[in-house]
Amino acid sequence: MNERCLQILILDDEPIVGKRLRAALEKNGYAVEVFEDSRAALRRLDEREFDIVVTDVRMEEVDGIQVLEHVLERSERTKVIVITGYATVEVAREALAKGAFDFIAKPFKPDDLRQVITRAAAALEP
Amino acid sequence: MENEELSGIAGLEAPESTSDVEELTQKVDKALLERPGFSIRARLALVFLLFFILSAATTIGTWMLLARLQTRLQFIEIADQLNNEALQARRFEKNYFLYGTNLEDVLRHIETAHRHLSSSKVEFGSIVGMESLERLERHLGRYRELIFQLRQLEAPGRDNVVEQRAEIERTLRTHGAELVSFALELARRERSTVRTLLGVMKGVTVAFLLCFLVLSVYSADFLSRHIIRRLNRLMQLTKRIGEGDLSPIVPARKYRDEFTNLVVALNHMIGEVERRHQVMVQSHKLRAVGRLTAGVAHELNNPINNIMLTAAALREDYASLSDDERLDMTKDLVEQADRSRKIVRNLLDFAREGEIEMGKLDVREIVEESIALVANQLKLSRVKAKIDLPENLPPVNGDRQYLSQIFVNLALNAVDAMPQGGTLGVSADLEAEGGFLATHVSDTGSGIPDHILQSIFDPFFTTRPTGQGTGLGLSVSLGIARRHGGDIRVTSREGEGTTFTVLLPILEVPAALERDSSGFVG
Ligand SMILES: Nc1ncnc2c1ncn2[C@@H]1O[C@H](COP(=O)(O)OP(=O)(O)OP(=O)(O)O)[C@@H](O)[C@H]1O
Ligand SMILES: [Mg+2]
Repeated sequence: MNERCLQILILDDEPIVGKRLRAALEKNGYAVEVFEDSRAALRRLDEREFDIVVTDVRMEEVDGIQVLEHVLERSERTKVIVITGYATVEVAREALAKGAFDFIAKPFKPDDLRQVITRAAAALEP
Repeated sequence: MENEELSGIAGLEAPESTSDVEELTQKVDKALLERPGFSIRARLALVFLLFFILSAATTIGTWMLLARLQTRLQFIEIADQLNNEALQARRFEKNYFLYGTNLEDVLRHIETAHRHLSSSKVEFGSIVGMESLERLERHLGRYRELIFQLRQLEAPGRDNVVEQRAEIERTLRTHGAELVSFALELARRERSTVRTLLGVMKGVTVAFLLCFLVLSVYSADFLSRHIIRRLNRLMQLTKRIGEGDLSPIVPARKYRDEFTNLVVALNHMIGEVERRHQVMVQSHKLRAVGRLTAGVAHELNNPINNIMLTAAALREDYASLSDDERLDMTKDLVEQADRSRKIVRNLLDFAREGEIEMGKLDVREIVEESIALVANQLKLSRVKAKIDLPENLPPVNGDRQYLSQIFVNLALNAVDAMPQGGTLGVSADLEAEGGFLATHVSDTGSGIPDHILQSIFDPFFTTRPTGQGTGLGLSVSLGIARRHGGDIRVTSREGEGTTFTVLLPILEVPAALERDSSGFVG
């Protein structure tokens, strides 16, 4: 295990998602920042690099795919996990094609996300 | 008497459901048919009867005049003969005095004249007066007497014959002259009576012609106005029906005639059209429901996801959580469950094929529900909804489901017009003409080119690829608005966007007044 704890950014316009996921992930020892507003999140992403970005695809203003592209432009090593509605398979496929690490369909349990994050963390390790 | 031709139509309320439509049609049928009948046929018969009476009266009058003329002419003949006899008598009298011819001829003619006179005594009396007639008779009598005296003078052995003869001759002459002039006067008077009668007859024919002319002009005018007025009314009614006001036609006149059957048939047609419209509204709604369902399912994902995350966290950390945290979580659970319930109920309410219930409605609530139904479509196309409706809008009278169908259709069209995102705005104001609440649904989409702007409300008009649009959205919406006594208008600029304005009558103002002042029935 590396000493530095994993930096995670969570972006979803549903406040409860951020609230619950922050608690669930901080319990695992990750450093979590939560955003509901995608523009604020993009600004934060410009400021610093995150290890993992979890973003909802469907939001007003800026959607998840744009966030994905924005992140990968800045830092290729960052793993982006996309949250989709279950019926939007095409969006998930598009996200993967554009370089997302994986996707997770709503509704999901905290454990489902933890598993994906663990895999992402493993992939981060050189 | 026919000013109120078109009254009463506006007073009827919009039909409330299929069974109500039938009931209303039956009621109106009864009202139409219960009136006393006065058919156009009867009116025509009446006019012809009048013509017949006029002709018969004129004929009888003329016949009577002619009969009188005939007798008059007979009297003229008699008067002429009388005159003739008198002249003859006088001629023989002259011969007697000049050449000493016999007196028998004079006497014969005088007798004949006397016969003629007494045969028509009353008649002549009525013309010249009894007094003159008696004078004439007296002259005749005297004349005859004198002739007899002359005859006696001729008998042999008489004295003073010459003197007496001269004396008699003088008196005879006076009476003879009187006799002739009386007879002449009689004939003259008789002739002038005939002339007067002829004048009267000329007058009668002219009067008949004038009466005939007046009666024909009046009846032609009356009948044509009667028929044309009904045709005009029917024209206005069909126009009204064409504009979507499907309330049945109610009786406007006192009498029933051939047109009543036509109106009854029209009412049945209206009922049929109304039923079809309801079917069309319903089937288009189901299409919209299909479109909305996918979006609503997505929308449901969010609260369900929130519930899932919260419930899982609660179970995981139950022991380590503080009471406050647990309370907060259960509060979230209840709230999110409630949110799901609202989403589902909103869609079900919209989809439900319910009884039509007219009632007092707040347009703001309806707009908000409708926009909530299309929320996901908006999100997908990245369209921002800006609802700017004041709290205290005046209520309108209508059916909730029907009205939300209008706004859902308009919102879906707006979404379709803005595939790259944009703004869907809803605002409202009171129409300047008064009595209407105008709700504006605007988009910043593609706009509608001028040449198709007139067609967009036509049924089946669509610019979408085959299979994607029925072209019924706007036609159904307009139909609904019209049935509520309202309307939908549109303004659009190509490339800039479109604004649909839904006009709905405000509840406080009685619908009947409304329609009159809008000049619809005129
Ligand atoms: N907001 C709008 N912006 C631009 N064009 C519009 C708008 N609303 C309607 N139209 C035009 O009017 C046409 C008719 O609309 P309507 O809602 O009656 O049918 P539709 O949307 O094509 O079919 P459906 O409603 O069944 O999906 C549309 O095809 C479109 O061309
Ligand atoms: Mg449409």
